[in-house]
Amino acid sequence: MSADRAVRLTLRYLVLTLLALIVLFPIYVTVVNSLLPGADITARPPKLFPSNPQWHAYADAWSDGHLGTYLKNSVIVTAFIMAGQLLFSILAGYAFAFLEFPFKRTLFVVFLATLMVPLEVTFVANLTTVTDLGLYDTYAGLAIPFLATGFGAFLMRQAFLQVPRDLHDAARLDGYGHLRFLSRVAVPLARPAVGALAVFSFLSAWSQYLWPLVVTKDDRLRTVQIGLKQLRNTNIDHVNVTFAGVVIAALPLVVLLLIFQKQLVRGLSAGAVKG
Amino acid sequence: MNAPRRSRFGATVVAVALLAGAALVGIDAAPAAAKVAKCPLGALAQAKKPVEITFWHSMPAANEETLKRVTDQFNSSQSAVKVTLVNQITYEDTLTKYRAGLGTGDLPDLVQMATTTALQQMVDTQSIVPAAACAKADNYNFSDHLTRVVDNLKLGGTLIAMPFNVSNPVFLYNKKAFAAAGLDPDKPPATFAEVKAAAQRLRDTHVVAKAPFGLKSAPSNLEQWLAKDGQLFVNNSNGRAKRATKVVFDTATGRKIFSWMADMVRSNLAIVNSDQGASVYDNLFGIGNGNLAMTLDTSATLGTITQVLASGQYPNVELGVGPMFSLRGGGGTAVGGGALFISNKSSPAKQAAAWRYAKFLNEPETQAEWAAGTGYIPIRKSATKLPAVQDLWARVPGYKVAYDQVVGGPNTPATAGAVIGDYFGVREVMRNAEQSMFTGGASPAKALATAAKEANRVIAEYNKRIGA
Repeated sequence: MSADRAVRLTLRYLVLTLLALIVLFPIYVTVVNSLLPGADITARPPKLFPSNPQWHAYADAWSDGHLGTYLKNSVIVTAFIMAGQLLFSILAGYAFAFLEFPFKRTLFVVFLATLMVPLEVTFVANLTTVTDLGLYDTYAGLAIPFLATGFGAFLMRQAFLQVPRDLHDAARLDGYGHLRFLSRVAVPLARPAVGALAVFSFLSAWSQYLWPLVVTKDDRLRTVQIGLKQLRNTNIDHVNVTFAGVVIAALPLVVLLLIFQKQLVRGLSAGAVKG
Repeated sequence: MNAPRRSRFGATVVAVALLAGAALVGIDAAPAAAKVAKCPLGALAQAKKPVEITFWHSMPAANEETLKRVTDQFNSSQSAVKVTLVNQITYEDTLTKYRAGLGTGDLPDLVQMATTTALQQMVDTQSIVPAAACAKADNYNFSDHLTRVVDNLKLGGTLIAMPFNVSNPVFLYNKKAFAAAGLDPDKPPATFAEVKAAAQRLRDTHVVAKAPFGLKSAPSNLEQWLAKDGQLFVNNSNGRAKRATKVVFDTATGRKIFSWMADMVRSNLAIVNSDQGASVYDNLFGIGNGNLAMTLDTSATLGTITQVLASGQYPNVELGVGPMFSLRGGGGTAVGGGALFISNKSSPAKQAAAWRYAKFLNEPETQAEWAAGTGYIPIRKSATKLPAVQDLWARVPGYKVAYDQVVGGPNTPATAGAVIGDYFGVREVMRNAEQSMFTGGASPAKALATAAKEANRVIAEYNKRIGA
């Protein structure tokens, strides 16, 4: 390794480290603030290390924000939405990529057109439908309106179009049906897209606020974002509890990102290099 | 900064969509208050006990604790009514959920809403029993209540909701900075000119590091200063005699108010902060760290300020609280806060039970405990004599300033404040107008004229939507 290259590598790592620090700093401050006594959060200069960590803030957040119940509800609802979106997106994407059927292009445009309609526009209609179906204040009511997305179908179609047509033909010759080709060949090849879609649907389901608030009756079925907002406080000496709640609610997200890290990075760099 | 803007856009779309939906499920034009409403008080005696009712509120954690405490006292003090609290997070979310509930049938028996933003819409839903009907049936007497608090909740002379939690804006300043600049720390400025002179003095003596005054780009600035000057915000006596059809603030007074704000900012005597999100506390922290010396904020923040100052982190700050200053001084601020609405979709027994609980929340003892626990103004004269309030005022004298503002000052449609159907929509317009002036370079007269035009459109759209 030449000296020149070593310098360049060092510089590159320095820049990357700096960028990583910038990204991590707000997260670090959130954790620190959750451990500071409430009044210390407003201290000047700001305290960047908790000399007397207030671990009980986490217990308070857990009980005051009903986070036990709310996290459980969020996990159930998010899992349903994620599974539904993956299933329906993969099936729809497969149909648009590999099958021939009448009005295929028109239907695809209709799918894409749903991307232009913000959730808020269908809010009332969804609420009326869910109520009429008797799903008000149920897990089903929380999840069903979000089980399919035009975005997911689009993403999976694009991913499946990358799968060589020849593979499809070869598999057909070997006697693979659609489902077997899908599960054995197409989905494994499109793993980065599946991972990206999984994380994306998790994020959007996990951060839902207004729908769960409106479609549930009371605390029993509410989800974690409502709990977080419930923790907002007028008393500055309890602000650390709000921060602790934020940290707790973000943990599942971190876990998910760690699980799907490989897929995500591959998804991001897919197509960047020829391989 | 993409997310908040998106969500605000989202919220607006939801509001519009829900309004459209609400129109389909039964809001129509007839003024509900005009109908002869009945309050079935007798139903409670015949009902099977306890009658269980649900109360939707929007109190953040610290205030929620006090609300839980007084509600527990109510539940254990008698066996006829049992109240269950459900926290619907914010006033805005509560209104959204309530309107959605008109379609799904999931409604509370009693609901706490912001008086300013919700009064007209709640009437338009035709889903409430006017408090006046219950008061009449019960021979309930409001003579011990603060008159302006009660009048604030009247539409066309009818009391719509039961008063509950009241706050209003006060002038906050650092007495030590005033003293250092050679200003009298015990005499807060009362007019626009005096505030500007004080600001100039604070800057010339280099007492403040950034700017003397911290201003929020809040839509309520204009509402409050018009009220203080005895001027209306919308027509038809601020929408109280009849439904408002247009704004009336594009006047000489309105222009003076906008010009004063613009002038303060352009001559670097004031800096502007958002009235939404995390920056709502920036002006207070600015005073804390010596960047600023004065600001306006709601009396509801006094508790937090006192706590922070008590921690000893800000040795250079001594809190001064004065009445809200205005164009010419004097006058009264518009009353803000929340009130209790009884749903007419509930069974007669539940309506009667809701009234009984609302009455309990208005008891002097309850109000004293509520004020001490939350910092809201006690709305009963006799409550102020009780030790809880006396202690509070001794501890945080600023609270008394806020109370005096509601007790004193003329009682007119101007100080009662405006009543508008789509108040959130109008406020968004005012916020944009102030921003166009502070950061977009629009002239005060132009910003105000544009705001009037836009606000008229918002009001007309709402009135048309509900067929009024």
